[in-house]
This record gives sequence, structure tokens and C-alpha cells, in this order.
Amino acid sequence: MTEYKSGYPDYMQESLQKVADSRSSRFGKEFTPMTAEQRQQILEKFHPDWKPQMKRILRIGPSKGMNIPHEVADIIEAHPMIKPEEIDLSKIDYDVDLLIIGGGGAGLSAGILANENGVAADQILLIQKLRLGDANSKMAQGGIQAADTINDNPAIHYLDVIGGGHYANKPDLVEALVKDAPNVIKWHESLGVMFDKNPDGTMQEIAGGGTSRNRMHSCKDYTGLELTRVVLDEFINKEIGYKEFTAAVDLIMDDKEQVSGAVLYDLENEEYHIARAKSTILSTGGFGRLHIQGYATTNHYGATGDGIVMAYRTGAVLRDLDSTQYHPTGAAYPEQIVGQLATEKLRGRGAQPVNKQGELFVYHLEPRDVESSSYIRECYERDNCLTTPTGMKAIWLDTPMIEKVNGPGTIEKEFAAMLRNFNRWGIDIRKEPMLVFPTLHYQNGGVEINANTETNVPGLFCAGEVCGGVHGKNRLMGNSQLDIYVFGRRAGKAAATHAKKASSGKLTLNHLKRYDRWLEEAGIITDRKSPIILPEYRGKRTLEHRLKIM
Amino acid sequence: MKLAYYPGCTLKATARNFEVSTLESSKKLGIDLVEPERWNCCGTVHALSKDDVMHHLAPVRNLLRVEEMKKSGLIEENRVVTLCAMCYNTLKRANQVFNTDSDKAKKINENMENETSHYEGTVTVEHILETLKSLSWDALHSKIVKPLSGLKVAPYYGCLLLRPRGIGIDNADNPTIMEELLKALGAEPVDFAYKQKCCGSYHTVYMKEVVADLSYKILDHAQRAGADILVTACPLCEYNLGPRQTEILKRVTRFNQIPVIYFSQLLALALGLGEEATVFGENKPDPRPLLRSKGLLKEKNSDDRE
Amino acid sequence: MIENNNSMVNIFVMGKKHTVPADLTIMKAMEFAGHQFKRGSGCRGGFCGACATVYRKKGSYKLQGVLACQKQVEEGMIIAQIPFSPSEKKTYNVDKINANANTFLEYYPEIARCLACNTCTKACPQDIMVMDYVQAALRGNITLAAKLSFDCLGCGLCAMRCPAEIVPYNVGQLARRLESKYIEGPTEHVLKRCEEIKNRKFDDEIEALKKAEKEKLTKLYNSREIITK
Repeated sequence: MTEYKSGYPDYMQESLQKVADSRSSRFGKEFTPMTAEQRQQILEKFHPDWKPQMKRILRIGPSKGMNIPHEVADIIEAHPMIKPEEIDLSKIDYDVDLLIIGGGGAGLSAGILANENGVAADQILLIQKLRLGDANSKMAQGGIQAADTINDNPAIHYLDVIGGGHYANKPDLVEALVKDAPNVIKWHESLGVMFDKNPDGTMQEIAGGGTSRNRMHSCKDYTGLELTRVVLDEFINKEIGYKEFTAAVDLIMDDKEQVSGAVLYDLENEEYHIARAKSTILSTGGFGRLHIQGYATTNHYGATGDGIVMAYRTGAVLRDLDSTQYHPTGAAYPEQIVGQLATEKLRGRGAQPVNKQGELFVYHLEPRDVESSSYIRECYERDNCLTTPTGMKAIWLDTPMIEKVNGPGTIEKEFAAMLRNFNRWGIDIRKEPMLVFPTLHYQNGGVEINANTETNVPGLFCAGEVCGGVHGKNRLMGNSQLDIYVFGRRAGKAAATHAKKASSGKLTLNHLKRYDRWLEEAGIITDRKSPIILPEYRGKRTLEHRLKIM
Repeated sequence: MKLAYYPGCTLKATARNFEVSTLESSKKLGIDLVEPERWNCCGTVHALSKDDVMHHLAPVRNLLRVEEMKKSGLIEENRVVTLCAMCYNTLKRANQVFNTDSDKAKKINENMENETSHYEGTVTVEHILETLKSLSWDALHSKIVKPLSGLKVAPYYGCLLLRPRGIGIDNADNPTIMEELLKALGAEPVDFAYKQKCCGSYHTVYMKEVVADLSYKILDHAQRAGADILVTACPLCEYNLGPRQTEILKRVTRFNQIPVIYFSQLLALALGLGEEATVFGENKPDPRPLLRSKGLLKEKNSDDRE
Repeated sequence: MIENNNSMVNIFVMGKKHTVPADLTIMKAMEFAGHQFKRGSGCRGGFCGACATVYRKKGSYKLQGVLACQKQVEEGMIIAQIPFSPSEKKTYNVDKINANANTFLEYYPEIARCLACNTCTKACPQDIMVMDYVQAALRGNITLAAKLSFDCLGCGLCAMRCPAEIVPYNVGQLARRLESKYIEGPTEHVLKRCEEIKNRKFDDEIEALKKAEKEKLTKLYNSREIITK
């Protein structure tokens, strides 16, 4: 039995000792939550969203005037990947009632619900640019919110959501979110999701940042994995049509000004296909791989904001893209896992954010934007932080406190993913705290929808992270897992209803030409093209010597 | 007395009556049968192909579990008791291969590298009938509260309990261990020529007619010898001789059904244990009418099938 | 503890030698060397199983199974990716399926071929006791199979290495759905709340909140009671 050797370098040991020493005095204590004024102040001073030089005004399209991060503006103010004259729209490769673009939680549940609402399995085509189910959905750890206990109800949930979102949320969408929530849990149970339960059979529910009740349902800290893989299993059971490693590069419209499908791109064969559909659902997820302000991200490989670009080209309205969520506890050490998510559930179960001196410095469950700003302040203004060997500033998240609060064995039982993922790098989070710093996490805004997931463009529906209006300017923990299933299911139903009465006109890509004109009229001369589909991570040498021969 | 007990897959799934009746009877006789916390399928007869060492991993891994139990003080001796004749045969033969071929033994241990210790070959594999015999039949007889007087029982051995030589628990041509047990229970053992002939085994899956033919011969001979009931020690034999009687009826209209149960169920009955230990309700055909007619069972149960 | 140094190491990706920074993960090292992932990269965080990778190191015969995004490169690594594991996932109607001891054998009869050789467990990058959950399924123990297989990402490494050609992760997925739906069953208070919502119990309250002005909402929000444990 080898003795545990610290996973951290020698120069951090002094601070680690302070954290260990202060643990007993911190036990049972909480830092005072901020007042509304304090919250506003800290956001304005430290939140990345409030750095004006990092954003610019969107100059084209129905939502021009919105102040958005450069990286997002770069993909929106960009030309289409394809030239209409190079695309033969007359040969239709896939002619379906419903095209779903993106196969995460939202897309998969849309497919299932559309099928249940009358669309034949072979009249649905779900395309996914990676493997089915590979999405941010699978990576969620801590939980899914639903107000289903006796001391809670959807109205209380509503208030949490709208307050956390800084009152910028669309009321209809919040209503849909909180009222559908218990039904989503019921649906998941009927499909066979293994939620954490108490010994008496009731749901084990914890609190998240900004929630006023315990309403986070979890499946250890593999919540996203469990929910996605069950829904994926069901999707396959229904034998619904799908194609992997196939992206959409732009939506197709028709002469009735509806969205009528998309130009698909097979990543492996490098060929395009034409998909015509009566209803199209965009469930393309978020934009973490744009690395806004150079931040590392929790997001999966394909999170490149494709959906907002494609929707915008058809004239769909966007909202709240001025707001980006940074998750407070992204891993900061070791370098190999920088940016990866350490679930908020850790704090929900007692882990305390602690500075270099081993002191509490913030209430552990402020809404995410406030919590992140607070860590940034602790590092950059107060210098009460550690600096990793690669120069990253970070604070401690005292995970051993979880065992102290809930008893030994808690982490092994409830945080299997975190325990495993840090053990791989020599850090036992039961014995030592984690080093954390905010990481780029969630696209708060996006394509605007109504409660039926309709956009302002007929035939186009959106569900999941690609949408705006559900979470306002800041999403609470566990509401994204909820969002994707609430609106994924609604999109499936709405798209099915629409498909029954819709009919496609003559297919066109004129809107792409219109987009080029928008750029020209705004004086934007660029060789940028979008959607970018995958981020560029290849080494410098390769990029400088690229050659297309075969 | 604490002994390691290896259940095997079938006892946990479909031969519950065999396991329950044996565990309850053993408890009454002062034997505590302790199941290892982790165990795997023994591999059954597939484990025994000579040219394939990998198939021996399954049974030997279970024997390693027994050694682990002894090391952690859960059992007193390195003995493991099995009930299912197939599991008995597989574990014992794999153990023999391990202990007689040091090359194979080394390979087997090397392929179990994730285990925290190597198998040392110290375990003795025994069948519950051997365990009972080692307690002495007289001692068993003295614990009987309900002698099975007047019950004519034909003991059916089948193949794997008796063969090959060196593995079998008794003489393959003329075994007597079950007769000895039955006498100790106060029953009247009935000898018959087909007591160690094969029941058809796995042919029951794809060639039911083979099983129907062999089982008919076995049961018919037992009946002609005057048996009221047969007992067996193997879940597959029990299935082929019991529930598969429906296949015999399709082919031989004059066949009279006869109950076939596990010897441990009679043991439990003779020890005075109730329905929760004898579990007669799970046998087909139902043995209870016959047992009642012999005065060995009193009340009529609610789920009796006549 | 991870040594941080500026050194380089030599790795062999599908036989091709590359010299890469020693502190990169296999995934980032392959990108550094010029490879763009289409297959073989998913969440990049150890949750999806897309980057199943096998490797040997020079000087060792041992074949290791890892996730490329979670494993740091080492000198002499000889690497190959297995981005797809071929299997027939059996389809079924979850509302009509029988959850009993024979269900696994009915859908995946090949589990009876399990040799208990433990190769699957050795191949698993999540340290799951794969053999044990396959064995549990073989005996019809739905609960144990579900519990032991829970952390499975479906990366496919176990299936690729199993000499009995079993696909354990399909069995595990079936076990978990059966465990939740049929063994544990639905949760009472969730069903109750769904009924209440259907009967419009909270409609008025929410309607009022929807119509409320921002000032009113702010007041309500800031003064709301927080009851959390």
C-alpha cells in the first residue's frame, strides 16, 4: 500500500497546508451572500462580459446593434462556406418530413417526440457532425432542475430562473421551462434513467448556485452522460434515421420564404448532400470552441456556434449574445485538463472556494456570473491566488470538506467522475483540494424562439443551447439539462405538427447571396467563412505547409 | 461449521428450489454455507476442452475466491461445496488440471494478473452429497423429525456427478451415495437400470426429441421398478426429466407423469422444514399431491396444481 | 505529480514517428503533429468515449486501453485509435420488455460465452469491473449489472478485446434502463407534481410572475426565502 504523495508541486505545499489547517474552523461556516448592489458591482468590474474592448457591435442582419464578443461576431460577419452556383439543388438526396441538425439531448429528444407525434421514423433525418450523442449534453455533471418536492413549486423555480437571468428572460420560455420540468423527469424515469435516490425512494435533490430550493436531480456526477445515453438508446430503439460525421453548412430556403432543409457536408467523404425537409430543427449547441477572450472551455469538440450562423443567414432573430457564461470552477491544474468542468455539485455538497491563505472569500453558491467574477477578483485584484507552472492564476476548491460534511465515502459514491478524472493525474480530491479558475462554459443567448420553439422564420425551429431567451443573461446550474429536454421535446412536437401541413416550394440559396450583400453594404471585407464546423488545433508547422493535392 | 459455497448461475436464476432447500437444510444441520462476495460463472463443460487454457480461468478464479475467503477468516477450511453437478464437475476438473500441469497452472495465474494473489491449488472441491456423507449418515438420521416412510424414491445420478473416474463422487457403474442418503431420511430407495444414463443434456435446446426419448426411458424404468418419485442433483437433469415431460406426453400417450425433484427438497422435508424451505411449488410436475397421498404433507397450498 | 518541463518525447502514431512536447495529452499531441480529428475526438473531457485509444510502449508487451484526451504522452508510445466499435445494439420496446433473470440472455445470448478471463476489465479506461457486470447479467442480477456498469462511456475497448466476442456496454445499457424502470420504478412525488401541473395548480401564480414588472420581480427575487441544505 503506497503512501499518497501530493499531486501538487512543492511550491504549492505551504498554501495546501493552510487550507488543511483552516478546514476545521471553516466547517459549517458560510461566507455572507452578496447584496444585489454588490453583485452588480462585481460583475461590472470583473466579469469578462464587461470588458468593452473584447466585444464589438454586430453590423449586419435583423439583430444588428447587439454588442457581442469578437469571436462570435467573427463567425457571424463571415461569408458562407459554399457558393450557391456550386450547389446543385435539383438533385435531392434526402427528402424528409423533419431534418434535425445536431444530435445532443435536444436533437435526440426532438426526434423521439416527432416520431411519437406522427412522423414516421424513416421520415426523420438527424444529422450529427460527430458521433450521435457527442455533445455538451453528455458532459454535464451535476444535475437537472425540476420543482417536484413538497416545499418547492414551479412558481418558485420561475423566480429563481428570471432573477438569475437578470430579468432578461422571455417569460413564455421560462414558464415552459419550469412547468414542463417535472414531466421531463417523469419521462426520463419512464425511459429508465437511474437518478440518485434517497433510501426512502424519494429523489435526492441538492442546491445549485442561485436556486432557492434543493431541486437538482442527479445521477452521481455523470448526470449528462446518463440522461444522454438513455435518450440515445431510445432514439436507436425507434430506428429513427440519422447520419453521423455529417454537418450542415447552410440552411436551404424556398420561394415561400420558408426554411426547407439544409446543405449537408459529409466530413469524411468531403461531399455535399441536399436534404429537403418540411420542418427543420436546429439543435446545434453552443460556442465554447471559439475560445472567447482566449479562455479554455468545458465544451466538446464541435461547439463552434454553427447554428446561430446558419439561422441568422435565413433572417432569424438573435438575442442575448452579449452575455457569455463562464463556469466558476474549471480545472486549472494540471495543464492537461485546464478548462475542464468541475461540477457545481461539488459546492452543492459542501466544497468551499478558498484562497491562497486558506480563507473563505465568497458565498459558495452565488449565481455563476457573480461567483466567477469573485474568483477573478480574488486572483487579479487581491492576488490571493496560486499561480500554476504554466502561469495560470487559480484558487482552491476545498473538496475534502465534502467528506467532512457528509461522511467518508461521499465523494466515491457521488463524484465518481471527478474522483476518477483527477486520480488520473495523481490528485486524490478526497485528500487534497482542486485548483480552479473560471472557464468558458455556456452560450446564454442565441436564436430567439417562442414557447413552441418556432423562430421568426417559418419552417425553422430551434432547441437547446443554440436558443436565446430561456436563461436571460445568466443560466443557473441544472437548467441547461432541463432546457434541452423541455425544448427538444417541444420542438419535436411542433415540427411534427408543422410537417403535416407544410409543403416545400422551389428550393433556393438566394439568402446566401443576400448575406454577402449585407456584408458588402456594411463595408465588411473579409475572407472569413462560417460555420467553421470544427476548431483548428493543428500544429503551426502543418498549417503553414498545407497543400491540397488529392 | 463454516464452508465456502459456490452457487453457480442456474441456482440463482431458475433452480431456486435447489439452493433454498439445501441452504435451509444445511443450516439445520449446523453447516453454514458462505457464498464468496464475488464469483463468476464456472464456464460449465466448455471449460474443460483440453487445448484451451483460457477456458480454465473461469473455474480457477472461483477457487481463488475460496482461498481469499480462508485468508480473510470467513471460512475455516479450504473446502468449497457445490450443489449443481455441472459446477461440481467443472470446478473439480479445472482444479485437477491446475494441480497436475504446472505449465498450465502458471499460465492460468499469469492471465489473472489483476487479482491480488495467485491461486495456490489448495482448495478441495466437493459436492454437498459428499459433505453430508462426511457428517455420517447416522448423525443425519438422528436429526430427522419426519421420516419419509413409505416413499419409494428412485435416485437419478446423471453423468457429471459420476464421471470421469477420479472426479466422480461415487462408482460410475453402480453408485450408492444417494441411496445411502435416502435410507438415512427413512425413505425406500429404488434401484433401476437407468439411474446413471444421460438425460440428453443441452440437446434440450434444439433437439427436444432426443431428450424426450432418453428421459422417457429413464422415467419408465424408474416407474417399472416401483418408484413414486425421482430425485436428482443437477438442474439440467431436473429440467429434462421434470418440465420436459410435456414433450414425452406429445410422443407417448400412455406415459404417466411422475414427479422429479431435488434430493435436498426431500432432505428439507425430512428435517421438518416448511414450504419456504422445501419450495415444492416450483417443481413441474407438482410433487405435492403425491407427497400428500403418502401422508408426508398435510395442508393443501393455495397455488396447488392438481 | 506531473512534472512540468519543456522536454519533447517521441511517439508513434499509426506507425509514424512524431516528436511532441512531453506535457501534452495523446489527443493534443496528435494535433500538434498535424492531425485534425474528425473521428476520434468528442467531448475532450473524459465523458463520451469517442477517443478510445490503444498503445504499447517500446520495451513492454502490454497493450493498454485509454482515452486519448485523458492520457499524457510518454516516450516510446506506439499508438492507434479505435474510433468505432462494430456492434448490433438490439432494439426493443422499453414499455413492453420483460425485466427478469432471462432478459439479458434473450437479447444478448452471447454473454453465456463469457470466459471470466477479465480482459474486458483490463481494457477499460474507466476502471470498471466489466467482467463482473457481464457475469451479473449472466445470472440475471439486473441491479448488480446496472450498478457496476454505471460509469461506462461506451468507448468500445472492452468489446474489441473480448475473446468471446461479447459487447459488454450494450448489456450494461440494457441493465441500467431495466433497473431504473422496473426494479426501482417511478418516483411518487414526481408523478404527483405532474398531476398538479396538469390540473393547473400553479398557473395563476406563474401568470402573475410573467406579467410582473421588473421592479416587482426584483423585489420578490431579493426577498425570497432560501431553503437549501
